[in-house]
Parts: sequence; C-alpha cells; structure tokens
Amino acid sequence: MRTPASASVPDHVPPELVRDIDPWALIGAAGLSGHARAAAFHEEFPPVFFATRLGFMPGCWVPRRDEELRAILQDTQTFSSAGLTGFSAMIGESWPLIPLEIDPPDHAAYRLLLNPLFTPGRVAALEADMRLLCRELISGVQAGGVFDFDAGFARRFPILIFLRLMGWPVSEAPRFTTWVRTLVKGQDLGEVAATARQICDYLRDQIARRRAAPSDDFVSYILSCRIEDRRLTDDEIIGVCFLIFIAGLDTVTSALAFQFAHLARRPEDQDRLRRRPDLVPEAVEELLRAYSIVNMRRLVTGDVEVAGARMKAGDFVLISTELANLDPEAFPAPTEVDFERENKRHMAFSYGPHRCLGSHLARRELAVALEEWLQGAPPFTLEDEDAITLRASGVFGLEGVLLRFGGAA
Amino acid sequence: MRVVIQRERCQGHARCAAVAPDLYPLDDLGFIATDGFAVPPGSRKDAERGARACPERAVSIVEDALQGKTA
Repeated sequence: MRTPASASVPDHVPPELVRDIDPWALIGAAGLSGHARAAAFHEEFPPVFFATRLGFMPGCWVPRRDEELRAILQDTQTFSSAGLTGFSAMIGESWPLIPLEIDPPDHAAYRLLLNPLFTPGRVAALEADMRLLCRELISGVQAGGVFDFDAGFARRFPILIFLRLMGWPVSEAPRFTTWVRTLVKGQDLGEVAATARQICDYLRDQIARRRAAPSDDFVSYILSCRIEDRRLTDDEIIGVCFLIFIAGLDTVTSALAFQFAHLARRPEDQDRLRRRPDLVPEAVEELLRAYSIVNMRRLVTGDVEVAGARMKAGDFVLISTELANLDPEAFPAPTEVDFERENKRHMAFSYGPHRCLGSHLARRELAVALEEWLQGAPPFTLEDEDAITLRASGVFGLEGVLLRFGGAA
Repeated sequence: MRVVIQRERCQGHARCAAVAPDLYPLDDLGFIATDGFAVPPGSRKDAERGARACPERAVSIVEDALQGKTA
C-alpha cells in the first residue's frame, strides 16, 4: 500500500526538490547493477533532494554528495541519531540502541566502554583463528563444482568469528542470522517488529542468566561496566546488547556477497590479486567503497540549509554510504573498481563519532577471506546471474550468489 | 615539512597507521597518539599518504616555509 506522495512531503519542501521515488526500490530493482543505478543518482538528481518514500518509512531528504554527507555526520547537534531505527518503539518500549542512537556528549561514555573490545590490536590477535575457519569452510569447494557462497561461507565465516568473540552460542548461528537479516532487510513492518521482539526476549533471558551466573562473555562484561561509579540501567544494558547483536551478524556477510560477486564477474581482478596478494588490503578498501551497503538516517533538530535545501526540525535525512562513495566529484569514474585508486577516504564505515565500532574487525575479516579464497580455491565465476536479487534497505544484501569454480569436475 | 593533527577530530579509523605505520602511532584503542611531528627525511611520501587516508580530515601537512611564518 502506497501513501500519496503529498502526504509525506512537508510544506516547506519546494516542489522542484521533490522526487516521487523510493531510492531503495530503484536500487533494489537493478539487482547486480544496483550500485551502478545508485551512481546514476549523481546525474539525475540535485545535490540534495526529497524522496517521497523510503521502504516502509516516510519521505526524507537525500544528500547525495560526499562533502555534504560528511559535514552532516560530523555535525551531530543539528543532525541527531536519537530514536532513528525505531526497533524498541516497534515493540512498545523506549530504550535507544547504544551508542548508535545516543548523540554526543553522552555518546562518549558508552563508546569508551565498547572501544576496547574491537581495537586494531585485539582484532589482529584473532587472525590465526580467522584463517583456520576460512580454510575449513573453503575445503568444501570442489574444482568444477558450484558452491553456495551465501550459505556455505558468507553466513558462516564472520558470524562464527563474531559469536566466539562475544561468547554467544555458536550453535544458534542459523537462528541468529535469520533474525538479524529480517530485522535489517525486512520490507514488512509487522515482520520486523515481531523479530525485534524475539531478539529482545532472547537477550533479556541471556542478561538474566549472566546476572545470576557471570562468565567471561560480552553480556557479563556489560553487566560489570560502570559509568561514573554507577552500573548501567536495564534499558542501557538491553540497548547495548541489542545493538552489538544486530551490528555483528549481518554486515560482513552482506559485504562479502557483493565483493565476491564483483570478483566472480571480473576474472582479471581475481588474477591480479592472485599474483599480487600484497594488494589485498587496498582491494578491500576499494571494494568497500564501490559496494557500500549501509544506509542510516538522521533527524534534523533545527533549521539548517544544506547545499541550497532548507531543512526544518523534524525532517529526516538519508545517510547513504553508497551515494557518497559513488560521488564522481570525490571518486572519478566511481563505478570502476581500481585497487590503486588514490582517494581511499570512503565512508563505508561512516564518518564522525558514530564511525563503525567494528570496522577493524570487518576489514580484517574481509582481507583474510580474500586472501584465503584466492590462494586456496580455483578461479570462479557467477552461476546464474539472473537469479541474483538485491535487497536495498538499512543494510543492502545480495541473495542467490552461487559461485562456479574452474578446473575438472 | 611537518604533520599537524587535530586530535579532537580523530574517530579511530586508524587509516593513517594502516598506510604509514612507522609515522603514525596509535594508542591502545586505535586513536592517533600524537599531535604532530617533523617528517623525517625520506618519509615525505608516506606522511602524505597518511594525511590523505584520514576520513575525518584530521591530518594536515605543513610545509616548513609556512611553519616558519606561523611559529
């Protein structure tokens, strides 16, 4: 059911800046060419325009250039993150996701508790484990055969590493990934709300168990944390646990599918990295840029003008990492993947105080996956490109990525 | 030639250290651990790569002539 365009356009938005589109629907409909479709926004639309729809959410401003998006993310006073995912409101509760939906200055105290868990050093210590797991999963590949990359690798590798790191039960991986996938990619509000309830109930049960019998896992760590000599409240604890749970269980999975789909379609890029494994860290950055997957929103707190667009308090703004990273003013020939591109300042992990807490973990996992696949498996192509679909929402994802491997069957 | 860092802008991306680990020290949490430094001879290119890598634009390069005037 579609609301009339006029219903979701505030009065102060001039008609010449209104576009009666849902950016996610346009990008999603393009399938494997979704990022090329997003790149075309830079030719079609003004620097800031108002889209009348965004999935099941109301219309919002869409800044498409890197420069404005960076300025918005660095100005947390004018562009607030409070309450923007709405997961707790969907189930009749009112806790924010912490620290994602907390604005500075309060944000810093929470971030301080979490930063030590995902430092470059801590992540580097996991590398040997990552390689072992990668090799085990890749051993299922047969020369000449077809491999379900999503089910056989992308849904397992980063998720098993994350669950071990957090001390959540690895045996629950299938249930957890299905929950989180529905939560961040679901197109039906009722389904998303029911899933938010299930995750919340599960986490509350875990919290109660760890309160009774602490262990050395993440929940116990959060229960032991203090901010200025006080323990966290129940709402703070569920807010932190819920965020970490959903943040770690889908993003790298989704990124892997896009990156491997690219390599499958570009044998010359595979060859290059097989011959030059030293380029892998740069390749990871370039693939993160060219295939960014995260979209967020911000809420305008006071009158402000952005690239000629006059915004008012209460307006929503889409923060689209793929639009910034495909901005031709920042990245010439943005749809070309060039591992040695000079500008590596992409915003795949966002800018500003909400910079992705797990970015070091994600980068390491993506680099290890690339290295292990390119050294440990034969060259691959995509099996049945036409069956691949793109779901564009808060975290973009590809479904149906099957890889066909070269060599004798 | 000097590197000048606005530490309050650092958000812990750690990209400067990823491209030039010998020049850009990080603290235990992955944030930049210096306000700046004189670039050692022969490290100019690495210093520039580190500055260009910062997503927050926290790292800038100051040429010595300019620095002489502002000192």
